[in-house]
Amino acid sequence: MTSEANPILPGPLSLIAELTHRCPLHCLYCSNPIEMQRASDELSTEDWTRVFQQAAKLGVLHLHLTGGEPLVRKDLPELIRAGREAGLYVNMITSGVGMTEQCLATLVDAGLEHLQLSFQDLEEESANHIAGTRSHAIKLALVPILKKFHLAFTVNLVVHRMNLDRLEDFIALAEDLGPDRLEIAHVQYYGWALKNRALLMPTEEQVHRALPIVEAARERLKGRIHLESVFPDYFGSFPKACVGGWGRQMMLIDPVGQAMPCHSAAVIPGLTFDNVRQHDLRWIWRDSAAFQRFRGDSWMSDTCLACPRKERDLGGCRCQAFMLTGDAEAIDPVCTYSPHHGLLQTLRTSTPEVLPIWRG
Amino acid sequence: MEMSSTPTFAPGCRLHPTQEVMLVPEGTLKLTGPSRDILLRVDGQRTVTEIADDLLQGYPETNTDEIRNDILDLLARLEQRGVLRTTQLPTPNDLRS
Repeated sequence: MTSEANPILPGPLSLIAELTHRCPLHCLYCSNPIEMQRASDELSTEDWTRVFQQAAKLGVLHLHLTGGEPLVRKDLPELIRAGREAGLYVNMITSGVGMTEQCLATLVDAGLEHLQLSFQDLEEESANHIAGTRSHAIKLALVPILKKFHLAFTVNLVVHRMNLDRLEDFIALAEDLGPDRLEIAHVQYYGWALKNRALLMPTEEQVHRALPIVEAARERLKGRIHLESVFPDYFGSFPKACVGGWGRQMMLIDPVGQAMPCHSAAVIPGLTFDNVRQHDLRWIWRDSAAFQRFRGDSWMSDTCLACPRKERDLGGCRCQAFMLTGDAEAIDPVCTYSPHHGLLQTLRTSTPEVLPIWRG
Repeated sequence: MEMSSTPTFAPGCRLHPTQEVMLVPEGTLKLTGPSRDILLRVDGQRTVTEIADDLLQGYPETNTDEIRNDILDLLARLEQRGVLRTTQLPTPNDLRS
């Protein structure tokens, strides 16, 4: 598919800017790649500013600043300002480690509109164990500071086998923190998280017990805290429309400037990623090989091509298909029509007697 | 939300300057029909009644009760979604001084 063949390809809506892979946390479920990019190779302020301007011209509405920990970039206020000046809505995901009131004032003045803080558990000891760092108390102390500012605030609860039994109390903690939004996100097994899959994979019983708890919280908090939840797709019968479909809604730029269709696309063998240092975002989006690789349905199996659900799940997740079957074109094994669907049954009942592996 | 309420945008929620969408944390809400015209009048000063009166200016023959209810319904739904609030929030400057 070339731009001539597809003159009206819509642009992406979101740009995920992974500003750095440096991070004070070492979460067991970290979704960043196992091989991380070095600080000395990171994009400059000027590179990112150019990327944000190109993104806005391409139709991007939302900029998501993430990492690693964005705060380790000394030019973070300049980057936020550059995003806003380009016309983008600026979100940031942070661990809060290193944030002060003065620092936050600078970020809000620069134009930061939404900040997301994740929590690893409700008890300090367990939360720090999962984060691989003593960060829980720092996060709690940051919340009253955040609320002094005109800034949307999301609490993200990351859930898995080790904390899912305490979900009701975990939600109560979040409620006390009083965010505008609450996300309850099951761990997804990409990047480093895959190493700890057997440790983190919840039981079937845990997952089913959690569903009505989340629904009850959604009703109870309506009008006060907007709740969004991510179902663990290993427990589903049909795949998720991963990143809204390959090369359809989202573009991710890694710390050294590689443009990717999703967070973990680098696991797929044979894909090469063009760099924003050499190419314009518009060319990358429309013409680069990586973005065209699974765009549309020409790569799909006959089963998927004949299936009406393909319009909804857009072929599911290519990285997951590769990681679980060794074939990136295979039907996403989450799908009940996949010949590998039985594999998930096995993974769902894996033994919990495994040790955690923290990243260095 | 009532006709006498004064709606204001929640932090992190704003109208896109040109497109028919509301920008909210992590997402966009598509606006249909006259939604954008209604939301353009949400300024933390005007009540729902005043917003409706402003919109209805110059259309004396329309069914104003029905339109008022539609406006209230839209604003109430956006309040439930966390996009609008009816309580007056202090500005960042009030808090930092």
